[in-house]
Amino acid sequence: MQKKIFYCNWRRWLCTAVSATALPAAASSRFPKPQFETDYVPPAVSMPAPEFVAGPLLDLLILFGALCVAVLLVRRIRSRRWILLFGLICLMWFGFVRKGCFCPVGAIQNVAVAAFHGGGVPYAIALFFALPLIFALFYGRVFCSVVCPLGALQEFFIVKPLRVPRAIDAVLRIVPLIVLCLGVVCVVNGAGFIICRTDPFIGIFRQTGALPMLLAGMGVLLIGTVVARPYCRYFCPYGVLLEFCSIVTWKPVQIAEGECVNCRLCVGMCPVDAIEAPRPEPSDRMRGRQFQRFINLLLLLPLVVMAGAAAGYFSGGAVARLHPVVKMVEHWRSVPEKDHDLYPEIEFFKRRGHTLTVAEEQAAVVVNNFRKGCMWSGIFIGAVLGVRMLMLSRLAGLKFHQAGRTRCVACGRCFSVCPSKAKG
Amino acid sequence: MSKENNITRRKAVGWFMRGSIGVLIAAVVAKISGRSASARLVWQIDPRKCIQCGKCETACVLQQSAVKCVHAIEMCGYCKLCFGYFKPDAPRLDEAAENQICPVGALKRKFIEPPYFEYSVDEKLCTGCGLCVKGCTNFGNGSLYLQVRHNLCVHCNSCRIAEVCPSNAFELVPENKCYLLKEKLPREVS
Repeated sequence: MQKKIFYCNWRRWLCTAVSATALPAAASSRFPKPQFETDYVPPAVSMPAPEFVAGPLLDLLILFGALCVAVLLVRRIRSRRWILLFGLICLMWFGFVRKGCFCPVGAIQNVAVAAFHGGGVPYAIALFFALPLIFALFYGRVFCSVVCPLGALQEFFIVKPLRVPRAIDAVLRIVPLIVLCLGVVCVVNGAGFIICRTDPFIGIFRQTGALPMLLAGMGVLLIGTVVARPYCRYFCPYGVLLEFCSIVTWKPVQIAEGECVNCRLCVGMCPVDAIEAPRPEPSDRMRGRQFQRFINLLLLLPLVVMAGAAAGYFSGGAVARLHPVVKMVEHWRSVPEKDHDLYPEIEFFKRRGHTLTVAEEQAAVVVNNFRKGCMWSGIFIGAVLGVRMLMLSRLAGLKFHQAGRTRCVACGRCFSVCPSKAKG
Repeated sequence: MSKENNITRRKAVGWFMRGSIGVLIAAVVAKISGRSASARLVWQIDPRKCIQCGKCETACVLQQSAVKCVHAIEMCGYCKLCFGYFKPDAPRLDEAAENQICPVGALKRKFIEPPYFEYSVDEKLCTGCGLCVKGCTNFGNGSLYLQVRHNLCVHCNSCRIAEVCPSNAFELVPENKCYLLKEKLPREVS
């Protein structure tokens, strides 16, 4: 009977309820479960369990094994063909089977969150982050060469690598620093995982995704045909950390097995401009000039750091717009009141009894945090740039061609062209 | 002699640097790796917090969202007039497409006995838009609710939907308890 009355008025009731945006409170007992007269049995609802390709321990062991094999290939077997083949295997496993997630690049953010806010990360993610760095300390960027699926994918798309002019290269190499800082600042302040969102290849690995993401991935691969490994060199935030570690690497990649004859074949072959050409031991006059240059650059260093800090502080406000609360306040101000129901975040905020002033207060705190984070990022970027400039005044001479420690990604192209093979 | 010395000094500095960076990395790992990995964490929606804003349908990185509507059949009232099934302005209360809320016809109903109907979700069709959930939660028993289906989810490091969820309904749950079944949850959000 009651149900029937309700039935007659349900449309009107619905309308009033919608306009009041009724909270879903005390549901579940409006209509009691019927007593069936037939022998009806309700169907079971299946709840499929998550499927992981490998357990965390196996995942780690495979990464460790792959890094070891990469070291073996780069240091002992020294064959471009084997390196390429192993790259294909790693691309298949880490890319298409494991679907690229989680990876050391993205793990930066998990580590940053845990470091700033506590709470910890699973040891698998922590070690995924640390293992390639530790390998870089000993053998250079072997992770980049073939183990990293992003690197391996780009490796296969290098057709005719052009030389990037040094000035452009120097400017573009600031981008990874910015991405690293932005990723950390955003994730620590709760604005999401920017580094994961800007991964261009994840859609390709999953073989599904939003169109812009897939197009971006293909675009990067297309650029990669002429500018080798654009993501690795001019975007990858993890590459920055790997570079830092590989500066002091124990056994850097060796081009010549025997003695280098300075034939310059490797220079033409290197797709990432990593080969350092020989330079003479400086004369006393040169030494003096370089020293003067060093002093000048050292005096410039605090200025660069301060400029970085200022730039960071003033860009903080713009960066903070990545944060959901700041974005919501922006919408709240710009969108007319009647359209607010198009923005569920505003609706939800209102429903909890908050006003615009509360939202603005929250946003102000967020913006302030972003300003602070971006200022520290600016100091960091300024310091790195300053040190990079100081490196310009390097004194030590170099007799033979050698692979630059920070840029070489151990792709092994130079091994195959080097005429100087060890005897026997 | 001096050259020999020089080389060894260089080596010592190198080992010192490597050692200190290595210790730094080890310290960071030791400090942060707190959670045991015996139970992996996966994303799930707390149905009590969900406001059915519809972002689950569009924000997922998959082309077809991994979020689907599930039916807690224990809670269902088997209503003839289901608020999750029929549009508020439905011309007639039958299975014709123009009467249904579900834009893809994923919510099916089957006659059991008068006046009861059984409702079920065709997961292949469901887009996770949450329109039926909204109707059922606001005016019915709330037996329809949204869940991340773990056979579809690719377990992103950071869930894209969770990042845009206006009510923070997404949370990380252990792999072995990866569904927040509405019929088993306490009513209020703790």
